Amino acid sequence: MSVTEQTLAELLRAANAGDGQAYARFLLAVTPVLRTVVQGRGRVLDRAAQEDVVQDVLLAIHMKRHTWRADAPLKPWLYAVARYKVADAFRRLGVGRLHLPLEDFADALESAPAPEPLAARDADRLLGQLDPRSASIVRAAHLEGEETAAIGARLSMSEGAVRVALHRAMKRLAVLAGGKVS
Amino acid sequence: MKTPMKTNDLIASLTHRAEAAPAPEAAPILLRSLAAGLPALVLLLLALGLRADLAAAITAPQLWHKFLLPPAIAATAALAALRLMRPEARLGALAPLLLALLAAGTLPGLWRLAHLPSEAMAPAVMGKTAPQCLVFLVGLAAIPIVTALSGLRAGASTRPGLSGGLAGLACAATAASGYALHCPEDDPVFFAIWYMGALVLCTLAGLMLGRRRLAW
Repeated sequence: MSVTEQTLAELLRAANAGDGQAYARFLLAVTPVLRTVVQGRGRVLDRAAQEDVVQDVLLAIHMKRHTWRADAPLKPWLYAVARYKVADAFRRLGVGRLHLPLEDFADALESAPAPEPLAARDADRLLGQLDPRSASIVRAAHLEGEETAAIGARLSMSEGAVRVALHRAMKRLAVLAGGKVS
Repeated sequence: MKTPMKTNDLIASLTHRAEAAPAPEAAPILLRSLAAGLPALVLLLLALGLRADLAAAITAPQLWHKFLLPPAIAATAALAALRLMRPEARLGALAPLLLALLAAGTLPGLWRLAHLPSEAMAPAVMGKTAPQCLVFLVGLAAIPIVTALSGLRAGASTRPGLSGGLAGLACAATAASGYALHCPEDDPVFFAIWYMGALVLCTLAGLMLGRRRLAW
């Protein structure tokens, strides 16, 4: 299954209307596409430098997300932003003048995994060992970036109770993960 | 897989307090840029006065270049600069249209100049008011250029220099549209040298400013 342009467009539309969860899903879905393009074109860079470029592009998407018109196709916008920042970063890193054809992005987008990155799958495995209520609080707060107040309102808990439950759940997760999760 | 996690942290921090991101609007940028230049233009016209034969001049077909070209160039350049606020935008038909307008302001004058007897060249070029026109136009456009560029920063032009240049051109052409109401010079030679010269200078200024101010 690959990310469709329509899904991405819907996510960014919701994100630009203020939906933080949709926004997180949008960026998580776009990241592997960017990574594929950057790794393909920036082979002389090491992995960390490539990831820095990916993060540059994500930041640019963040800063400029309002310049996408909700009724316009998403791909050309996304490619243009990514291309501008990747070219910029490669120039700065001395990779040289960049030939970055749009087809790179199209191919990467076609072959991108569904918006379910490895990190999230790991988290799912761990969260599965918590009780469902704690798991949903952790997922909302840490993976989807929901405010604790909003979580409280949704689960009819006080914000303080959500914080306590979140804290306990994170301690429990740390134990489950062998003390590696802070 | 350490690095992807770091990237996911970045995403979490970007989206945690994400607010609605409304699209930038063209109208406030245009209005602010106009407002930035209007007081100086009004003062200048009050000080220098409108040309005495304005009503007749503005309808004279041989003066089309003077009264129609600057607003047409201003509108086209402004439209192009606003369009480029979207990263995926292309100028499309605006580019040849703008080039045609610029050619229409320059070529007839230069053609006429080249065919003048040599002793008539200097008077045609200098007119009666020559350097003041250039100074006024650049001076009138300066603050609006800065204002327009700060408005365009809300966009994401992938060609910051071009965007800045178009903004500079739009501001200078707007200034020329106003100054033409005073300016008594009617020779296309004068227009091609001084009006178009001011437009070129402001375009270059916008281009250089835009490269720095509109990069992201």
